[in-house]
Amino acid sequence: MRAREGTARRYAKALHMIALESGSAPAVGQELAAFLGVLTAEPEARDALTRPWIKAGDRRGIAVAVARKAGCGKLVQDFLGLVAERGRMDHLPEIVPAFQTLVDEDLGQARAQVRSAVALTDEEKRQLGARLERALGKRILLEEHVDSTLLGGFVAQVGSLILDGSLDGQLARMRERLARG
Amino acid sequence: MSRVLATAALLLALLPSLALASESGGGLINLDKSLIIQMVNFGLLLLLLGKLLYRPLVGKMEERALAIRKSLDEAQAARAEAQRERDEHAAKIQAAHAEAQAIRAAALKEAAEEQRRLVDAARAEAGRLVESARAEMTQDVRRAKQELRQEVSDLVIAVAERVIKKSLRDEDHRRIVADAIARVEKVG
Repeated sequence: MRAREGTARRYAKALHMIALESGSAPAVGQELAAFLGVLTAEPEARDALTRPWIKAGDRRGIAVAVARKAGCGKLVQDFLGLVAERGRMDHLPEIVPAFQTLVDEDLGQARAQVRSAVALTDEEKRQLGARLERALGKRILLEEHVDSTLLGGFVAQVGSLILDGSLDGQLARMRERLARG
Repeated sequence: MSRVLATAALLLALLPSLALASESGGGLINLDKSLIIQMVNFGLLLLLLGKLLYRPLVGKMEERALAIRKSLDEAQAARAEAQRERDEHAAKIQAAHAEAQAIRAAALKEAAEEQRRLVDAARAEAGRLVESARAEMTQDVRRAKQELRQEVSDLVIAVAERVIKKSLRDEDHRRIVADAIARVEKVG
């Protein structure tokens, strides 16, 4: 798992350097996210790009075609073609966040992954974002999704920092206290 | 012995005189020239007897006395030797008794020492076993308590989760989120 993340980070760094030179890093991030969305929605395309018995040249052609269809620019098309050709398309779910992190660091911002039991209202998102910005001293981009396994509240993760405001966390802490006596 | 021999010689000397007297029809002893002959005869007989009988007899008697004395001496020596050996044996028996007594005392002492050592070892082992059993029991009790606490806490939390899931309304969710948001700055 660590080796996989290391590989993903190397690809992300290389793309980030080229994107910085062309000054299109945020756009590249969005294009990558769009491509990843297409792959998630189209499992056949994902399978075709990750199966090792499909020729490297064919994988590259498919990746470039899908990227073009997803509206990606030349840089992202070439990058995805290279990733597919090298047989690393299965690393894309790790490459995209790693790239986003690098772009966010450039822009002095961070992404907060928020899992909540019920959808947060706009006011709650605003308040949470503002408080996180004050606490961490950088702009926060909230990425929220509803997790029905949570009882109540939310869990926010910014990089390695995890803020547990869920009922599940409180109950888990209570269970530990009870078990300790 | 010599008295017996002298009496015998006198009787022998008187026998011819008695015989002569009976032949002549006179007394027991006739004071005539036969008396001289008889005396000479007696003297010769005495010499002869002394030479042939008395001396060898005396020699034999002395030899016998010497042998008896020697035997007595030897018997005395044997008795002394026997006494010495008896004393020696008695001393040896005494020494053996003393040695046996010493061995017995040493064996008893060693046995007592061994017994004490065994008792000490058994006592120490028993103490160790008791301590080990006590520690194990304490550990078991602690583990059982921990397991019980864990089970109780799991049960309590499971019940709480079920109750919370059923009873939470939207306003409760909003309040929980608001509380969590309010705690964010403190965490930061």
